[in-house]
Amino acid sequence: MISEKKPGKICRYGMAIDLDKCTGCGACMIACAVENNVPPANPAATDLTGITWLRVFKVDNGEEYPRKESVYFPMMCQQCGVETPCYLVCPQQAVDVDPSTGIVFQMPERCLGCRYCMAACPYHSRYFNWWDPKWPAGMEKTLNPDVAPRMRGVVEKCNYCHGRWHAARERAAQAGLKDIIPGDYVPACVEACPAGAIEFGDLNDPASAPAQAAKDPNSFRLLATLGTEPKVYYRSKRPWAKRIGDPSQAPGSKETSRG
Amino acid sequence: MDRRFIPTGVARCSTSRFLMWLALWAALLAFGLYSAGLCLVEGLNQTHMNNRFAFGLWIFLDLTVIALGAGAFFTGFLLYILKRKELRGVINSAVVIGLMCYGGAMAVLGVDVGQPLRAWFTFWYPNVHSMLTEVTFCISCYLTVLLIEYLPIVLKNRKLRQVPHFLVFEHELHNLVYVFAGVGTFLSFFHQGSLGGLYGVLRGRPFAFREELGIWPTTFFLFILSAAAVGPSFILLTTWLVQKLARKPLVRPAVFESLGRISGLLLAAYVLLKTVDTIVWLRRTTPRSGFLPAQYYAWKPFGIWLLFVEIALFLVPMAILLIPKLRARTAWLVPAAAMACCGVALNRFVLTIQTLALPTLSFDRFVYYLPSWQETGTFLAVVAAGVLVYSISFRYFVLFPEEREL
Amino acid sequence: MLPWNYGLHWTLGTMVFLGAFYTVLVVVATTLVSAVVRSRRSLRAGGADGLRWRSDFHDLAARDRACRHQLTGELECRECPNGFDCRQCDTHRAILEQRPAPEPGARSVEDFGMTFPLDRLYHRGHTWVRRERNGTVTVGLDDLGRVLVGKPDSVDLPRKGHRLRLHATAWRMRKGRAGLSVVSPVAGIVVETGGPDQPWYLKVRPEQADLRHLLEGIEVRPWLAREMERLQRALMAAGAAPQPVDGQATLASLAASCPEECREAVCGAMFLRP
Repeated sequence: MISEKKPGKICRYGMAIDLDKCTGCGACMIACAVENNVPPANPAATDLTGITWLRVFKVDNGEEYPRKESVYFPMMCQQCGVETPCYLVCPQQAVDVDPSTGIVFQMPERCLGCRYCMAACPYHSRYFNWWDPKWPAGMEKTLNPDVAPRMRGVVEKCNYCHGRWHAARERAAQAGLKDIIPGDYVPACVEACPAGAIEFGDLNDPASAPAQAAKDPNSFRLLATLGTEPKVYYRSKRPWAKRIGDPSQAPGSKETSRG
Repeated sequence: MDRRFIPTGVARCSTSRFLMWLALWAALLAFGLYSAGLCLVEGLNQTHMNNRFAFGLWIFLDLTVIALGAGAFFTGFLLYILKRKELRGVINSAVVIGLMCYGGAMAVLGVDVGQPLRAWFTFWYPNVHSMLTEVTFCISCYLTVLLIEYLPIVLKNRKLRQVPHFLVFEHELHNLVYVFAGVGTFLSFFHQGSLGGLYGVLRGRPFAFREELGIWPTTFFLFILSAAAVGPSFILLTTWLVQKLARKPLVRPAVFESLGRISGLLLAAYVLLKTVDTIVWLRRTTPRSGFLPAQYYAWKPFGIWLLFVEIALFLVPMAILLIPKLRARTAWLVPAAAMACCGVALNRFVLTIQTLALPTLSFDRFVYYLPSWQETGTFLAVVAAGVLVYSISFRYFVLFPEEREL
Repeated sequence: MLPWNYGLHWTLGTMVFLGAFYTVLVVVATTLVSAVVRSRRSLRAGGADGLRWRSDFHDLAARDRACRHQLTGELECRECPNGFDCRQCDTHRAILEQRPAPEPGARSVEDFGMTFPLDRLYHRGHTWVRRERNGTVTVGLDDLGRVLVGKPDSVDLPRKGHRLRLHATAWRMRKGRAGLSVVSPVAGIVVETGGPDQPWYLKVRPEQADLRHLLEGIEVRPWLAREMERLQRALMAAGAAPQPVDGQATLASLAASCPEECREAVCGAMFLRP
């Protein structure tokens, strides 16, 4: 690991997402883009060449009306905790796993743009800057000064609003505390969600929402059998939704049995 | 007009015909450079790659071309280390082909990455866990070795040889060529393997992921073996092609026989190991990752037929090249070599394109990808540059020492 | 990459990897540098000439590298392993011992319109060497060389006292656009210079008396036949009209059929180097 261990508590930040609460409004996606200075899409961008650090999918149970059901599925970097694929494959060590927070963060200044990490990520949560970022005149006033915009030809992804973590640490340091004040650091999407579907916390803290979600029988993680130990726990009471994370349910599998 | 530069004892076509041939390929090169220039200036949005298809035509062709260029190191190994003297007739041609393959691959990689000027970052902050780091280091070193091996071929030119410095330097280099052959073999072993390792370590892509032998996935060894098996076939194929274009024999038939036999033997070893590997992959590795083998081939056009074609493209040439009576006849030998080369190309294609096309998440779609004209153009530039350098080398340097005697 | 890079952590893997990389770099650089050093040393010691001769020898087709004793029929089939330098060759010494004394009658070999007197020794570069009574040797261009070159426009002879090295350039000639250099058959000091108007070109005091690398006696005729064959092949490769292969071909007719621009190439093939 490149980062040095910082003094203070060792956290493992994760998320708990309640699929039964998510309405698919997309406020989280907008908050994410605004917070992290994601440029507006180029006119020629498509569904697969735009940048959406956080993206909400609509997933169906595969049935027809009247038994058709859907959930809205917010997807971001799953912050893999073990054998982090993108971290292991980057030839320049432009990906770092911070031991103090467990956050997998990307260094666009060091990124060569080889896109090997994008091939390695099973969650497709990494995005490439296919165009030069361009903000319409006047819109540069909306840029967040705490987050560096990226250049063309590098990869970027969700980093749990790392700028906000730095800001929280500064506030804690100014208050004379060693650790971040609990609740002072939340990523933009968590703050913006009107339904409170996304919850954020430290998995090492048994009282936090993600830690409790981890123990909840209705919780699941995506592609858990791959062994990457993602830190995002999805929760749903609906039995078919609980199987979304199961790889053999991937489209094309003969065992698809939703509903 | 340029007869003074043409080696003694061989005939070459007239200067004007040669210039016309060059002009044709130079035009293609110009178009290709324009395409590459567009990608560099406008950005990689000029390609049809996207966030799901992070690798496309370029990576697939790079891998194929490096596997085919393995003939350079392998022929050098067979000739200078294992002392198989009959290959002396093709080693120069093999070195030029290797140089073109690796040089072209590096050039395309320079266009493929989003920030080419940061290429030195890999050397400055190497990540030893990453296969791509190993590939970068090894290929850079190997390209240097190939350039050094090309130097004596250039210095033996009729006019250049008259400069005493060049004459003596070439002689001394030739005395030490076995060092370069040895280093080249060492480097090639690792980079051919690492290219396989690129895919074999992808835990997030069970289609590509393989079990580990030591610290490397099985694809590491399979890629080395397939490259070593197909390298001689490609040398055979190109030599035959050049003979056809030059309309005269350039090597003794024993050379074809030897290359074919070596290729056949290594193909047999490869087919055996790949069969074992495929069975283990389908029955153990895949279920462990939670996926089902049926998911790999459920999408058109990547049906199970693709697996069978890949097997056939290795099995059939292996059979032909191992039967001496068939191997002795050009009508069987050359198509067998071509099939082996296609087999390797298909293998690299499957691991690059099919891996990325297949969905991993349950709500993923299967994604289609077709290269844009800019991508195709860039690669055509590599082909054109290769033909140009080879043509010039063939005319002014001795690529086939046995030609004079035939 | 370097030990003081910020943030680069040195694990065992890093050390093995970078160790291998640096080793490869060092090996390649050392080899290259040693090649450069050796070549400079060799140049200073005058090795370039011997190398040129050996390099020309290696460029010959296998059948043209036949041992002189294969030409005479004394040996079945042998390719010269020494670059036509028979002084160190054991096989040559053994065969010379067994060779019968030359017949006293033959004074010269006459064939293809040329005369090759047998009172002198011949070098493969088409020069002849005659031992003189005062210990010097006389060097000249043989008939084949003379007719092939024709009347040279200019001749550049070495000065008196110049040190000739074996297989170096003895003297240079210009004919039309072709520049030709003649390979020296001996090593020694030039004592006197002649020219194309005289029957000899140089008188040399040789460094050693060993002239075993030169052809003599019964070897001359078969060698000549082979040289004519080689000349025919060189002419055809240079694009000349094919000549009738029936022994009536004389050297003069062959030389006449050689296109002017190919003279240099053809002479080069016959060891009269450009």
